[in-house]
Amino acid sequence: MIKINPAELKLVAQYIQEISGIFLDQSKAYLFETRLSSVAESYGCKSYQELQAKARQDGSKVIEKAIVDAITTNETLFFRDKGPFELLQHKILPEVIDARTPRAGGRVPVRIWSAAASTGQELYSIAIIIKELLRDAANYSFNLLGTDISDAAIAQASYGKYNRFEIERGLDKKYLQKYFNLFGDSWKIKDEIRAMVTFKKFNLMQPLSSLGKFDIIFCRNVAIYFTLEDRKKLFNKLADCLADDGYLLIGSTESLTGVCSRFVPKRHLRTIFYQKQ
Amino acid sequence: MKNLSILVVDDDPVVRHLLEQRLKKERYQVDVAEDGYAAERMMRQRFYDVVITDLMMPGDLGGIEVLELAKEINSRTEVLLITAHSSVNTAVQAMKKGAADYLEKPINFDELFLRIDKIANMQTILRSAQDLQLAMDTTENVAAATIQHLEMLVARLQQNLNDIETILRDVELEEEQRIDRAIDIINRG
Repeated sequence: MIKINPAELKLVAQYIQEISGIFLDQSKAYLFETRLSSVAESYGCKSYQELQAKARQDGSKVIEKAIVDAITTNETLFFRDKGPFELLQHKILPEVIDARTPRAGGRVPVRIWSAAASTGQELYSIAIIIKELLRDAANYSFNLLGTDISDAAIAQASYGKYNRFEIERGLDKKYLQKYFNLFGDSWKIKDEIRAMVTFKKFNLMQPLSSLGKFDIIFCRNVAIYFTLEDRKKLFNKLADCLADDGYLLIGSTESLTGVCSRFVPKRHLRTIFYQKQ
Repeated sequence: MKNLSILVVDDDPVVRHLLEQRLKKERYQVDVAEDGYAAERMMRQRFYDVVITDLMMPGDLGGIEVLELAKEINSRTEVLLITAHSSVNTAVQAMKKGAADYLEKPINFDELFLRIDKIANMQTILRSAQDLQLAMDTTENVAAATIQHLEMLVARLQQNLNDIETILRDVELEEEQRIDRAIDIINRG
């Protein structure tokens, strides 16, 4: 494994923050080494400084993508924390559908965004909830978007295939049988659920205006990797692209206190969600 | 005794006995079944880390069926298949269905123990990953409860401050009234 020196740590940490917003603690040299050593080697670099320089020069951005894939944490599971999904099923979806019905005359356009979709478990969990809640989901128009900065994560999300370790975490047996097909030693999401969602690569550091307005935004456990400054910018942008009566869900250990005063926390049972002032 | 339970499934009493003896000598916890039916019964009664099964057995339940049953009963069970050289293709098919590995007859015990060691290592890593996960989930739940409590509290206090400011700036009210109302808000907490 290639060793990293303090000067390189600073250089590489800064580069990673530029391309992804992810702020890596420079005291964790091992993290850089375990995650980036093989990337450096596979592009023929003998040091991290060389890797960083090569990545900056590479117009195709192939090295940048490899670095992002290596450094991002894809810790996710189906129905991570039950709270937000119960909230979605029993409160948010009924309210949003109710609010949208008069205007749309028949089909209700509801837009939901999983802003750090990772390998797709969160958005598929949302799609399953919708399917369960609305037997006649065909009568409604849902637009479910999942974005992530990692190409590798988006590729897996789009394919919708999960190994048994990923499946065993959080997914109810009854949903497994109903919405997944056995695929070799893994499970693949059924087409009826796959067809409800769209995944694409997106960097949250960019302006969000191209994505349009959303009724419900899940932005969980991603801002924790950003600096306070970047977190403030992100949630301010999220406020811009959330409908006035829309709902924002953040990670269960996250807080918007001192981050964005445009959102007010509200509590339903044991779960907190945010709405605009 | 090693912390790994093994079920041996083979219709040939000689092979069955040999496997049992050798594995017990290596201090594994070993049970044996003479066919797929007995194996199914035993797997439903308790969890086995590893099932070693002959691929070709008489009756409707062969090695492939034992593999499928094992995975259905508990997907954490790893299955090793023992095959004659002529049925390697079937064994490869079995790998695609989730078998951990296969061994050709005659059984080379060094090879067998190596495979079992590998599985045992995997199981240990898996177990510690699950322990870590559990620890993380517990910490996260406790932290979440605290943070969410504080989040609601801060929001309420902020609202109180805003209300107090509005009252204190209200020129329509007498000074005494303003103070009284501000104190009311402070007291409501």
